[in-house]
Amino acid sequence: MMRRFRRFDRLASSRIRPIAMAAILLLTAVWIQTRKSPGVVLAQQGGAASQRQPIILDRPPARVLSDPNPVFRAVAIDTERGEMFMANDKESAGASILVYPTQFTPTDRIMEPRRRIAGPNTDLGMVCGLALSPQHGELYSVSGETGTLNVFSLQASGDVPPVRRLDGIIPRANAGVYLDAANDELWITTEHVNRVSAYRRTFQEEDEPLRYIQGPSTQLADPHGVYVDSEANEIYVTNHGNWRETQTGEGEVRGADSLTRSSLGYNVPGRALPLGPSTGKFLPASITVYSRTANGDAEPVRVIQGPRTRLDQPDGITQDPVTGEIVVANTGDDSVLFFARDATGNMLPVRVLQGTATKLQGPVGVSVDRRHNELWVASWDNHIAAVFPRTAHGDMAPLRVIRTAPENAPLASMGRIGAVAYDAKRDEILVPN
Amino acid sequence: MSQPRISVYASSADGNAVPTRVIQGSRTRQARTSHYLAIDPIRDEFAVPNPFAQAILFFRGDADGNEAPLRTLQGPKTLLSQPDNVAVDPLHGEIFVAQFTTDSVLVFPNDAAGDVPPTRILHGPNTKLDGPIRVEVDPVNDLMVVTTRDAVVFFNRTDEGDAAPKWVLSGPKTGLGFSRITRDVKLYPEGRKIIAAARIRGRLPGPPGVDSFGDGHFIGVWQYGDTGDVEPWAVLRATPHSQLMGRRLAFNKEAGDLFVGGDGIVQVYHLPEIFERTE
Repeated sequence: MMRRFRRFDRLASSRIRPIAMAAILLLTAVWIQTRKSPGVVLAQQGGAASQRQPIILDRPPARVLSDPNPVFRAVAIDTERGEMFMANDKESAGASILVYPTQFTPTDRIMEPRRRIAGPNTDLGMVCGLALSPQHGELYSVSGETGTLNVFSLQASGDVPPVRRLDGIIPRANAGVYLDAANDELWITTEHVNRVSAYRRTFQEEDEPLRYIQGPSTQLADPHGVYVDSEANEIYVTNHGNWRETQTGEGEVRGADSLTRSSLGYNVPGRALPLGPSTGKFLPASITVYSRTANGDAEPVRVIQGPRTRLDQPDGITQDPVTGEIVVANTGDDSVLFFARDATGNMLPVRVLQGTATKLQGPVGVSVDRRHNELWVASWDNHIAAVFPRTAHGDMAPLRVIRTAPENAPLASMGRIGAVAYDAKRDEILVPN
Repeated sequence: MSQPRISVYASSADGNAVPTRVIQGSRTRQARTSHYLAIDPIRDEFAVPNPFAQAILFFRGDADGNEAPLRTLQGPKTLLSQPDNVAVDPLHGEIFVAQFTTDSVLVFPNDAAGDVPPTRILHGPNTKLDGPIRVEVDPVNDLMVVTTRDAVVFFNRTDEGDAAPKWVLSGPKTGLGFSRITRDVKLYPEGRKIIAAARIRGRLPGPPGVDSFGDGHFIGVWQYGDTGDVEPWAVLRATPHSQLMGRRLAFNKEAGDLFVGGDGIVQVYHLPEIFERTE
């Protein structure tokens, strides 16, 4: 046993052996000290585990690594009231919906929101998708963590509960939400199960979807943003390209009868799958377009995909109300891409907004303010929302920005982290999102 | 929603620190849901699962920016089904994947690339693998530990087929089982300790006191051989003093530091008493 220990030590940490020996001596001394420390309550330790009284380790962290500054993910404009709603999914800054005026004097200073929706009663989770209806005075939010669709008043402020909440069979871990006002339908994308679902805007708590698109023919592959062109009767969905075969109906929360456990959360029951061939593959990023009335395992009517499109981790998507162009926040290369309304295949964007002057770093949300002829872009990494002329292109500076952190603050590198690991060779910690 | 990236910090980083490097971009093939990362100190690599594309990605230890993985394990023969975690056994050259969707643990060579079948599969009613979400390996003491729906179960490292666990930690005194939202479990071979993190509503492990009930996180430490419904040997509970907020775990045994990942936060606890060597 000791020989194996030595081999492991030699292979894994030979460079730090002298340090390790010194550390052991030091730790022994520290251990003796800490046993006398008021921060350690020593309970009796019986010989048998069944009668054990645990040692209570009650002490504060020696260090805390986190970013206290909110970020902007989704953006939704209330043009009638001149307000911009932005989703902040940074939990270390308190997940929130922040509301700003659409028109303000340009400033480089941190700008306080007009109001914020935040707190335990809001049930925002890791809020990442927003839509709104000025007509009905409603704001809709989805979360990348929970399986709910929450509705707030457009005037909501503070720690208020949703006025309505969809919390039935709706799959968990949603990304985007869009209100098709013409047809009174809400559309939601679900990353984990490659699905787009439509619900009545007036849904009640446990409503079934009106219809959904899901299955191997759909080419949905890690879907993010969703937009409905109600004139053309088409649905646009951005896809990162991570693909696996999904069953139609997968991800719906139906207790032990749920088709599989995928997307349900670790502690939610569902059927186990038999061991079988894996189906996963990497597809190029894409925008898949469907008939608005498509249902089930429907093929897209066209797909925008290929190297000429420049699509690279596309996220938020909307439409220019004047030109009809499709506008995409292209996170992977810090750009906003504009495609012709009828674009298909490996087609070039008609214009691109990109460059250091734009200040865009990790753009994820886009929206067009038709009243003021402006394009809004949520730029996650550098804590800003940038406002451009609607027709902006090239390396153009924004007209103004809203920032939640000083310009020289570190980039927002951590979202909801999935794990933490320690690399002894480099004395570093690795934090995947 | 999180961004698909791995941020790397100096272990001494504090506050709103700047990462030493960030691995991100479409060439990296990461999904936005990377729930685990395992380091192979011998090959100087690390492995990350991509559940949406059913793949395990292997990167250089020094990977930076929009860098492609060294190799990718993916394909029909792998039987990978939404892999959410990966563990590395550098000593025996293997990786382990616990599969929540298929009640199984798959084992591959750690240099596997492409469409490679598992070398061993742990699966069957005797295994008590009910919704396994995490696996870790102690290559020194030949131990494998798996977090399941209601328990933390232990096997011999090389167990396969329908093998029964050798120890099972479960029950109200333990606070474990992911119906109590257990998340990560780590093994400390030199001290023969088991470190598990969970969130619990109700009675927290440990003696009665002001903080013995609640709705919060705790980290329990058990000793090898503990089985059944037993209190931990030591416990760090979420209290106003500890401010414990997470359930993702890593440690630096030499410094006596336990790293705890929460929602957009990493807390570092100096707990040298956990990392005593017993042999």
